[in-house]
Amino acid sequence: MVKDHSLLLTLLIAPLLYAFFYGSIYINKEEENVKLAIVDDDQSRLSRLLQQNIDNSPMVELIHFSNLEDAKEQMYEGNCQGYMYIPRGTQTNLLSLKQSNVVLAVNAARFLPSSDILASVQAICLTVGAGVRLQFFEKSEGMTSAIAMQNVMPVSLDYRPLFNERSSYGAFLLPGLLALILQQTLLIGLSESVAAERQHSTIGGWLRGGASMAIWGKGLFYLILFSAYAFFFLNVNYSLLNLPMRGNGFELSLLLLLFLLTLIPMGQFIGSLFKSQLLCLQMMAFSTYPIFLITGYSWPFESLPLPIQWLSMLLPTTPFIQIYTAVVQSGASIWENPKLLLHLMLLWAFYSGICYARLHILRKRLLT
Amino acid sequence: MHSTCQIIIREWNRILHLKVFYLVMLVVPALLFSFYAYIYQEKEAKNLPFAIWDDDQSPVSRQLIFLLEQRDALRITKRLYSEAEVQKAIQKGEIMGAVHFPVNMQNDIYSRHPTTVTLYTNAAALVPAKMVYKAAAQVIITGSTGIILKKLVKTGMAPDRAMALANPIKLDTYQLYNATYNYQEYLVPGLITVGMQMILIISSMLALNYEYKTNTMPELYELAKGSAFRVITGKTIAHLVVSWFNFAIIAFILFPFFEIGVPAATGKFFALYTLLSIACIGIGMFISALFKDVMLSGDVALFYTSPAFVFSGFTFPRWAMPWYDQYYATIMPYTPFLDTFFKIYYMNLPFYYAQADLYKLLLFPAVMFPTALILFQRQFNNSKNEAAVEPVLN
Repeated sequence: MVKDHSLLLTLLIAPLLYAFFYGSIYINKEEENVKLAIVDDDQSRLSRLLQQNIDNSPMVELIHFSNLEDAKEQMYEGNCQGYMYIPRGTQTNLLSLKQSNVVLAVNAARFLPSSDILASVQAICLTVGAGVRLQFFEKSEGMTSAIAMQNVMPVSLDYRPLFNERSSYGAFLLPGLLALILQQTLLIGLSESVAAERQHSTIGGWLRGGASMAIWGKGLFYLILFSAYAFFFLNVNYSLLNLPMRGNGFELSLLLLLFLLTLIPMGQFIGSLFKSQLLCLQMMAFSTYPIFLITGYSWPFESLPLPIQWLSMLLPTTPFIQIYTAVVQSGASIWENPKLLLHLMLLWAFYSGICYARLHILRKRLLT
Repeated sequence: MHSTCQIIIREWNRILHLKVFYLVMLVVPALLFSFYAYIYQEKEAKNLPFAIWDDDQSPVSRQLIFLLEQRDALRITKRLYSEAEVQKAIQKGEIMGAVHFPVNMQNDIYSRHPTTVTLYTNAAALVPAKMVYKAAAQVIITGSTGIILKKLVKTGMAPDRAMALANPIKLDTYQLYNATYNYQEYLVPGLITVGMQMILIISSMLALNYEYKTNTMPELYELAKGSAFRVITGKTIAHLVVSWFNFAIIAFILFPFFEIGVPAATGKFFALYTLLSIACIGIGMFISALFKDVMLSGDVALFYTSPAFVFSGFTFPRWAMPWYDQYYATIMPYTPFLDTFFKIYYMNLPFYYAQADLYKLLLFPAVMFPTALILFQRQFNNSKNEAAVEPVLN
């Protein structure tokens, strides 16, 4: 490895660099002050109250315009993520007990900012609406504040997002991202290393002691190296990024060990399919996004097409990431998901089997 | 001119015969992009496993459960009886969320006592959690509004006035450019273009230095009459034409087949795609001219291209990133490309709105090609001298 600077870069520099580099993007965890253009044609106490409430929310920052055309233009320029329009007569309508329509248009071409604006403004409109009812009950119906309050919202919703209380994007993505960096740098490095053995015709020496010895010999080095990285990520990166680790550390270590043990024969098997280290690097470069997208982490597993679900089940990442997120984010025990654990063990056996068979064939070919 | 044409044809020949080129430039795009589109065929996440914890067991709670069952996003799979059970089921991955109807909910509603319905989601899985929230909250809020309406009508208020009081500020929402939050429409064009960016850089980074690997540099020198300009022009045109071939696959086969994209903006997409291709080929040529070692050049290209998607602000906006990451994002061509792509493709606006981003994108070829030219001309001259010295040494 010391002679191969590409392996050196992939195995010694890339995991740490990527972990800090990618991790830093989400260090703020969530977006704030998403810009929303507002056009207030009502200029009333109610419209000002509505704007004040929206502007006070950490998620939205209002930019004021005198007409809709200017507001739309700002959205087209990319200076805001939507616009809101409060028409003339909004307050008058309410005072005469007529429903008032307020328009909110968001740029849904960008999902996260638009959905955050929608959720915030919707919640604020409901709250202001409840305030309007409260005033009506107090003034027109002569109810006391306490009784009026009971009538304002007969059923209120208490939303409890578990295991990521602020529903932040960073807290959701970072644990999976760190696991993916660990996996991909291992797979790319190890497969490149095996492909290099074939390219430089050193494979005979590597396989001399038999396929099993070769797998363990090369694999053990990677197991130790990546176990150290895993330990580093879970302690240093988790702490720097302020990520909670709610589960049992020992159980998590066992899980990571099993995961690395599964990835090692998988990486060796993939590498053994290439005769060129460069080609192996090129092909593996395109594996990161597809793997991430089909593991069920960013998109629900049940919503994947059936053939993709089958393919996904062949990846160690799929069962691992479910147990791992349950452990680190919700404090679950690894034994609470015995089916997933068994799935990961079966994949270990599967990849060990095909890697052994493949290297055995290569060895036989070399001997004949 | 004649020798440039010969270099173009020679490069196409190399692309068709060398694995490091044809696999990356011709096989990967078709397979990878079809795969991306296929992943999101469902377009929206549906049937997310959901649990009911009903301590009320009343006609009102049953009515709300019925309404929850009607939501496409939810599939009620479990009945639970405590918060601990809800937490456990979420930890095991059995459910993505749950709703709790408290004891005496119906009685409280009828006796004018406020009641609280609790909605739980597994926010560690953010995408399904948001979908569960949207579907379930809509039912609860609509149910609550319905109850207020009923009560007001009972007091003798006219239905339209009662409606005005039950929901005084009606928010008319418009989700422009992707009304249903269709994931396929949103993610697939982005994933495909970022994939194309990687493909272009990872293949063109071998355009010059791989000649050493195949021992064809002297032949190239002869053909180009020692001009690095001819080599880089010829190879750039060859790579650009292949990238157009991939554009044809994307715009005229993949997008229509999966019914995605904005057909009316195809012309603008082509112009922008060409600009991205030229920028990426320029970067690839620069890397190729800088490093003779193909593996090192591969590592550099991989390190440079792979973070483009996350740094570009496609899924997580750039303004929410720390300042140093925002600066880093500007050194990747995908960032100005994406800002323009949102405007001229997703929003189908004229190029006028993306002028500043286009200038940023143009900076890449403007800097990379001349630098690559200077570097490669030096290498080219040296390779001639080396070629002259080699027979003498032998």
